[in-house]
Amino acid sequence: MTGEDVSGRKEYVLEGFAVPEQLDAVHTLLAEAAADHPELDPIDVMLFETAVIEIANNVVEYGRPEGEVRWKFTIRVRPEEIEAELDDTGQTFTPSHGQGMPGEDAEGGRGLPLAEAVLDKIEFNRLADTNHWLMVRRLGQASQI
Amino acid sequence: MNFEEVDQGTHVVLAPEGKFNLVAAPPLKSRIDDLVAEGRARLIVDLHAVDFIDSSGLGALIGGLKTARQQGGDLRIAAAGAQVKAVLKLTNLDRILAPYETVEEAARDW
Repeated sequence: MTGEDVSGRKEYVLEGFAVPEQLDAVHTLLAEAAADHPELDPIDVMLFETAVIEIANNVVEYGRPEGEVRWKFTIRVRPEEIEAELDDTGQTFTPSHGQGMPGEDAEGGRGLPLAEAVLDKIEFNRLADTNHWLMVRRLGQASQI
Repeated sequence: MNFEEVDQGTHVVLAPEGKFNLVAAPPLKSRIDDLVAEGRARLIVDLHAVDFIDSSGLGALIGGLKTARQQGGDLRIAAAGAQVKAVLKLTNLDRILAPYETVEEAARDW
């Protein structure tokens, strides 16, 4: 599904249930946005996708009631940045920002640190009965990776 | 996601395909655990057909590496694509899971 934001730019929107089977739809949504914007550096797209999927994974894994959480993704591509908003109806929680990457032998705990490592802005807010994530990557700095 | 498995005698090659994510990681990790329990602790994960890995996939590789090493073996990865290499680097895992360019190179001293 697509729409337009206030400046007339195309928005890429996905709504559905936050279940594992829907993760492919998130990849597809990002691929659609990238295909419409050939000016995007593939590395920017790749790293942004990595971050967005990690946050999506968190909702799928920890959102409750399991299998009943609904989500809405909105992707926007601007000349200077790419942005994703994610709203979900899961229970409220407090993300543990800024924990840093776990040790080499840890089998988990890398999702949020990985997302934070490739995003320039990551915000979480609880608005009424909805969790709201904002994820932004500035473009044109891909050579840093 | 399915994965191919090839027994090379001295080692076993596992080759996942597509998205190595929270859906695909548990069955691969489970298979690694079974192989190591059977005494097959020299493993190569061939990533040439993986176009995306997430932290669950990384967790499965680290878990498999630990399991294999505990039994005197090792888990090596080969033919990683750009996204996999970037994620390994960003998570500092490229030091203990250094990607080999090819499966043959990964198996050279086995």
